Amino acid sequence: MRIELSVNGNAIEVDVEPTTMLVDVLRDHVALTGPRVTCGVGLCGTCTVLLDGEPVSSCILMAPLALGKQITTIEGIPRDDEVVSCFDRQHAFQCGFCIPGMVLTAKNMVEHGTATSREQIREGLGGNLCRCGCYTKIVDAIEEAAR
Amino acid sequence: MTDARITADIRYSVDHKVPGMWHLRLVRAGIPAGTVTAIDATAVDDEVAVITPEDVLPHGKYGCQIADQHVLASEPKYLGDPVVAVVAATEKAARQAAAAIDVRYETSPAVFDELEAVQPSAPLVHAAHVTSNSDSAYFEMRPQDGTNVCHHFRIRTPGLRGRHEPNLLIDLPSPGDDRLADAFADADVVFEETFRTPAASHVPMEPHATVAEWVDGRLEVTTGTQTPFNLRQDLAVLFGLPAESVRVVAAPMGGSFGAKTFMRTEAIAAVAAKAVGRPVRCVLDRDEVFGEVTRHASTVRMRIGARRDGKFVAKQMLAYLNTGGYADCGPGVAQKMGYAGVGPYRFDHVAVDSYCAYTNLPPAGAFRGYGAMQSAWACERLVDMLADELRIDPVELRRMNLLRDGDAFCTGEIMRDTHFEELLDDVAKAVAWQDGRKGKGIAIMLKGMQTPSRAEAAIRSLPDGRFEVHSGTADMGQGSVEALTRIVADLLDVHPDRITVPCPDTDLVPYDTRTTSSRSTHMMSRALAEAARELRNGGTVGRGRIVNEGGLDPDTGEGIASSHWHQGAASAHVEIDDETGVIDVKTLYASSYAGTVVNRPAAELQNEGSMIMALGSSLFEEISYQDGQLVNPNLSDYNIASALDCASIQHRLMESPGAEVHGLGETAVPPVPPALGNAVASLGYRPRELPMSPERVLASRVDGRPAAR
Repeated sequence: MRIELSVNGNAIEVDVEPTTMLVDVLRDHVALTGPRVTCGVGLCGTCTVLLDGEPVSSCILMAPLALGKQITTIEGIPRDDEVVSCFDRQHAFQCGFCIPGMVLTAKNMVEHGTATSREQIREGLGGNLCRCGCYTKIVDAIEEAAR
Repeated sequence: MTDARITADIRYSVDHKVPGMWHLRLVRAGIPAGTVTAIDATAVDDEVAVITPEDVLPHGKYGCQIADQHVLASEPKYLGDPVVAVVAATEKAARQAAAAIDVRYETSPAVFDELEAVQPSAPLVHAAHVTSNSDSAYFEMRPQDGTNVCHHFRIRTPGLRGRHEPNLLIDLPSPGDDRLADAFADADVVFEETFRTPAASHVPMEPHATVAEWVDGRLEVTTGTQTPFNLRQDLAVLFGLPAESVRVVAAPMGGSFGAKTFMRTEAIAAVAAKAVGRPVRCVLDRDEVFGEVTRHASTVRMRIGARRDGKFVAKQMLAYLNTGGYADCGPGVAQKMGYAGVGPYRFDHVAVDSYCAYTNLPPAGAFRGYGAMQSAWACERLVDMLADELRIDPVELRRMNLLRDGDAFCTGEIMRDTHFEELLDDVAKAVAWQDGRKGKGIAIMLKGMQTPSRAEAAIRSLPDGRFEVHSGTADMGQGSVEALTRIVADLLDVHPDRITVPCPDTDLVPYDTRTTSSRSTHMMSRALAEAARELRNGGTVGRGRIVNEGGLDPDTGEGIASSHWHQGAASAHVEIDDETGVIDVKTLYASSYAGTVVNRPAAELQNEGSMIMALGSSLFEEISYQDGQLVNPNLSDYNIASALDCASIQHRLMESPGAEVHGLGETAVPPVPPALGNAVASLGYRPRELPMSPERVLASRVDGRPAAR
């Protein structure tokens, strides 16, 4: 089926099967590399994108379900964004594979005022895993961004 | 400029695509041991290439330390062993083709447990033992013919050598028929225990991803690997090519932790690319990543003897490593596990037998900690048990026996630049040890660095005034590009913006042994210092070469185990719910000797990351098998630590002015499980097996009573 998606403010028409997951559309048809598949079952948050500002796991979201919604990937976040800058300043990354998903989740937390304490930030990151173990500095970054 | 890893301006190997490439999928054995009797591919479309074990036979076998593996198996050694490969124009077509292939087998008896595998009656996983000419086999193998033991590493301190001993011990000998019994003659107390650790998964967030392509008779492979030069050599041998006819580009990795070492999917991707005459891409699914390579499950039997005053007299250790269906670098892990299990202590006598045993499970290989984690668990739990027996404070008992500058380690090498006592005091203070030890535990360890090895580097001055660093150090997330940039900027006294570090490409960069064992910052920084000196002396290229010499005799363990030592300690404070067995970690602290820190945030992250991975190993990470079938190969059944698990973590990088640079990639891994285990033990439990799941904690209650209600 042909569908038109709004990705990072651009209208993009793709021809996909209805069951194609959004992450595959973004990677294979839109040539974005920010959303990534790690667990493939919606647990690890590496594939996180924002759908009308809300974080979703794009590895378990069929692409047609994103119709009419604004899809934002890390590529759609300005380089001088405050959350991005805080991750950079706090050196809140190692390999970086999970970081775009972390940043998008963090943006949502900061915007909704749900990053008021380190404990609350940790709760909010429950669905974003980082195997390098950068959590302490990631929490530092989000805490700074929320100030 | 914002780091490319935050903004996704980095290209991992999984992002690497080449126009016209085809896609590879593997058909995996449905039995743990046996023979493929028939492959029916009649349901597969004509446009799909099917590669069978017969097709790859001419390539012979490969293996970094033991050449025991075919590119595809006609006699699968584990459930999941690749038996057929299909290559198609689209990933979907490849998946469909793989599902349409029917493989028939004749099964044979299988063995899964490392202790069962070393029994004389165990079915043999491989009919005969072989060796390897690979560079990665840096010591002589000691396979035990007629058994599943593919390597036996021994330590015998001088007084215990030259005796007629059995080749394979399945149990610690009883004092009556122990050929080494006199080692314990001066001991007032002899204490022994058996400890176990399970297989675990590295879980790199990025799966293994490879693109192979043949260009004018040369093989070019872009892949996530920590070992580009080992891979180049092993691929060249497989295809009968000179090493220069193989090019390996080590793309940045989305995590590895040992998972992306030596040959993984590169060989079959190269065979497939040759078969279809196009570039071929192979990306593993998550369940395949779980089975690709694991951490060695282990059983360690350990005996320690001490005088009543606490002075250690002797240690005997039998370590059994479950290396799965193929040896991979298991022999090397067995060696490191062997000497790390002795711990940073003085003994009059040491006897270690470390057995690397084949089983019909997925292969085990390099894993952050490289054997030290498994044997430190045994060593440090046993020291605490001994302390209880002797009624001596565990910190003081360790202090009394720690290795200090000028002491000889069990290998005969003389220790220098030791910081064990400082580390011990630091971790004790972090949990207020002096205020009572209920719920608290400490542990200390030493871990070797790859010895022997060689690091070469070049610095090229570019016409635009920048400098290009040519180094084989692969970036798996530890931040090697940042570290190399800083080192060279400092050496040349220029702004880091003028330094560029291309990713390792064996056509471009000089030889480096590999990016493992936390050796790179230490070795490469010195190779670069030489290169910078040469560059300052004139010309446009400076070259450096650093070699660390050493190695151990496989029969006595004598030699240089490590040209410098990773030294680390940890402490923990826990509470336990008596009813559920759930451990609540109040404080987890690690102190790692860093020498001179090159890149502070990255060094802190390595230390924290090591602790967090070890926390998972301590409390919940375990690969489970049922009749050889991996039953939890996904992140819902195999949990890794989340941000919620890490609130209690604190740590320190112990620095020393003017000291050498020490790698920090693994130092904080091995001491964490025993620190937690000793903390648990202080509350009336006796944990011997990892992870310390609630069930195991409850079952290890010393008084044997069910929890009070």
